[in-house]
Amino acid sequence: MPIIDMKKVYILGHRQERTRVFNLLHKMGTVELLDVKSGEGWKEFQDLLEPEQLPDNISQIDSKRSDIRFCLDFFQRHFPIRKSMIEQFTGSRLDLTDEQFNSYIEALEQVEEIYKACREAEEDLVRIRNEETQSHNLIEDLQPWVPLDLPLEEVEEGSWTMMDLFIVPVEQYSALLEDLPETISEYCLDEVFSDEENVYFFFSALAEKKQAIDELFRGKAVSRASFPDVTGTPSDIIDSLNKKLEELAQERSAVLKEVEKLLVHRPMLMACYDYMDNEHAKHQAMANLAGTDNSFLLEGWAPVPIMDDLETTISENTETAVLTSREPEPDEDVPVLLHNKGPAEPYEVVTKLYSTPKRNELDPTPFMAPFFFLYFGICLSDAGYGILLGLLAFYLYRKLTLGESGRQLLKLLMLGGISAFAFGILLGGYFGDLIELPPLLFNPLEEPMTMLIAALAIGLFQVYFGMGLQAYRNIKGGKPLDALYDQGFWFIFLNGLILLVTGINPAGQWMAVVGGAGLVLTQGRSQSSVILKFFSGLLSLYNVTQYLSDVLSYSRLFALGLASVVIGMVVNSVGELAAGSIIGYVVLVIILIGGHFFNMIISTLSSYVHTSRLQYLEFFNKFFEGGGRSFQPLRVKNNYVDIVESEEN
Amino acid sequence: MEGIEIAMLGVALAVGLAGSGSAIGIGIVGQSACGLISEDPDKFGQTLLLQALPGTQGIYGLLAGFLIMQDIGIVGEELVELTTWQGYAYLMAALPIAIAGLSSGIYQGRVLASSINLIAKRPEEMGKGIVYAVMVETYAVFALLATILMLFGIAV
Repeated sequence: MPIIDMKKVYILGHRQERTRVFNLLHKMGTVELLDVKSGEGWKEFQDLLEPEQLPDNISQIDSKRSDIRFCLDFFQRHFPIRKSMIEQFTGSRLDLTDEQFNSYIEALEQVEEIYKACREAEEDLVRIRNEETQSHNLIEDLQPWVPLDLPLEEVEEGSWTMMDLFIVPVEQYSALLEDLPETISEYCLDEVFSDEENVYFFFSALAEKKQAIDELFRGKAVSRASFPDVTGTPSDIIDSLNKKLEELAQERSAVLKEVEKLLVHRPMLMACYDYMDNEHAKHQAMANLAGTDNSFLLEGWAPVPIMDDLETTISENTETAVLTSREPEPDEDVPVLLHNKGPAEPYEVVTKLYSTPKRNELDPTPFMAPFFFLYFGICLSDAGYGILLGLLAFYLYRKLTLGESGRQLLKLLMLGGISAFAFGILLGGYFGDLIELPPLLFNPLEEPMTMLIAALAIGLFQVYFGMGLQAYRNIKGGKPLDALYDQGFWFIFLNGLILLVTGINPAGQWMAVVGGAGLVLTQGRSQSSVILKFFSGLLSLYNVTQYLSDVLSYSRLFALGLASVVIGMVVNSVGELAAGSIIGYVVLVIILIGGHFFNMIISTLSSYVHTSRLQYLEFFNKFFEGGGRSFQPLRVKNNYVDIVESEEN
Repeated sequence: MEGIEIAMLGVALAVGLAGSGSAIGIGIVGQSACGLISEDPDKFGQTLLLQALPGTQGIYGLLAGFLIMQDIGIVGEELVELTTWQGYAYLMAALPIAIAGLSSGIYQGRVLASSINLIAKRPEEMGKGIVYAVMVETYAVFALLATILMLFGIAV
């Protein structure tokens, strides 16, 4: 039974045991909670029952959680834990035993202290960075004035003279020099420095001419350089700023050293974060309950196979809680949990990527699995790559701790490796043409048409199979006539056309006529008037292009299978060019290993995605709707740690 | 031109144009990926996988080029004597993958650049981003198929 039956469960108990029941459910992870207030019993009992409020301490939990998050992020910023290539896909977790985890949780009070220390360190670091930026900016501004051997505080306006530092764009400078004598007669202009853009100069004149000078300067885009807060000559200031920068750098490393001492707490914080996160989820879920002063009521979905287990757990571990259950109503929104057995199980990951099936719908996984297995092998079709891929996936499967989808994906790749190995032997691919063994069946490079026709034939079979499944659904849904009209006539019509076009059997034309006539007569049956019925029936024949393109799409099996083998051959012949001398053989080996590994990865990727695509667009659209809601039980979710069996066990 | 030069023009177009499509596509994805990595360096593995996808067009082009080179004896044994018309036949056979490789590489790159945005927000939906990109690649696969069938049909 690929889709697990669900039962609606109600748990009623004394209020004091509410948390205990919740912890049990959370640990088992097998019940999806529902909001009692939206359930059908709510209207009848709403006078009796009080909706549960969010617990008061949830905001405390939330703030504690974000404190821990802050510390962890802070550590990550300054002392990052690097993830390996594989961990970037799987996520890296800390493995902890139950005892370790619990001992970390007991240290929860320390969090506040660590948080305070982190906050202070963060503030220090921000301050240091700001001061550094300021100093850098000031140094940059002062740099042009270094030749000026004058303490900056002495550059100021007196009652009789004005003096200041100015910057003017290079292209305005000569015009300024020309215009100045026309405005005032006595002045002192001393060019300090010039670069590609600006000229930096010292200027002094009589104070009474200030207004005229300002006006002239404004017209020439002259700007004033002012350094209000510093004293000394520019080069002295720069020296002291550089010294300050050094001090700041030392201060920073001192702060970071303090932070580094805190790093020992990192595992504890990770454990605490996950603990708090789960507490938060649990408390939030409590808002789904309802109750009276002394009791609580919980509503949810649970898979039928674990019902007994759930019942005994509840009754053994609590004194008052009672569990009742009932079958779902026909129109209820039941969550869907897929459960396939044996070799079809890993292919659930392909189905789930498309959509979760609806309740009461066929789970397409077991029907799709053999096709997926077959196509993956045809696309890769190399015995060498098959063995390598299978072993690699097996190694990763053993080594990594993964979620359900990850494990399914690796199992799928293992099976894919086996399939590719088999097709490699059948079609004669061993690392391209590295090992030349005669194929058991035929060589697609020599008989491309055979291969192409085989690919299309498999495709046609899968398309028919999909139609058959839809016909089965129609019959089971009490609409046998729909099965005849929508699938039966098409089946006759298409087969007739194939026989006709290929000229295998002249009876084909009669089949095509019968099937076609059936389609014209029935495909317009939802229309109101006779004329509309006829025309939409006639128009439906156009759908033959849809079937044609579906089947032609399977030609990719041939193209991809050929591609992986031929690229392997390219690698081999490039390597051959290098062979000859000793160095040449070293190069040859490097090219062979690198090239074949690269080709295996790329070919595996395209085998996987193109095979998936064939299932989604050519197969699933014949009979599968999807759009179901997947089962999401209340359960322990960890971000940072994995609880593992303790080592003695 | 003799047949052999015309056939080599076919090789050049298949490898060069399809390779350009891949190069442009991979370039587009790489630009988006860098943006994401600046925010979240841990997604490097995922983005690298997405970036590798538009590489297949270039591989198909190389494959077609290699098949022609093998046929006309540039790789391996001696050069085969080709008539001008046989040379044109090879050139024509190279065109489907050259043209479709160029355009599908670029557009696949664009789809994947959007997929990078997708995994920035919802990393768990990477599979769907890949499926969209593969829709574009379909036509490169068909072009490769046409090229291969045409090549097998040429009698030398």
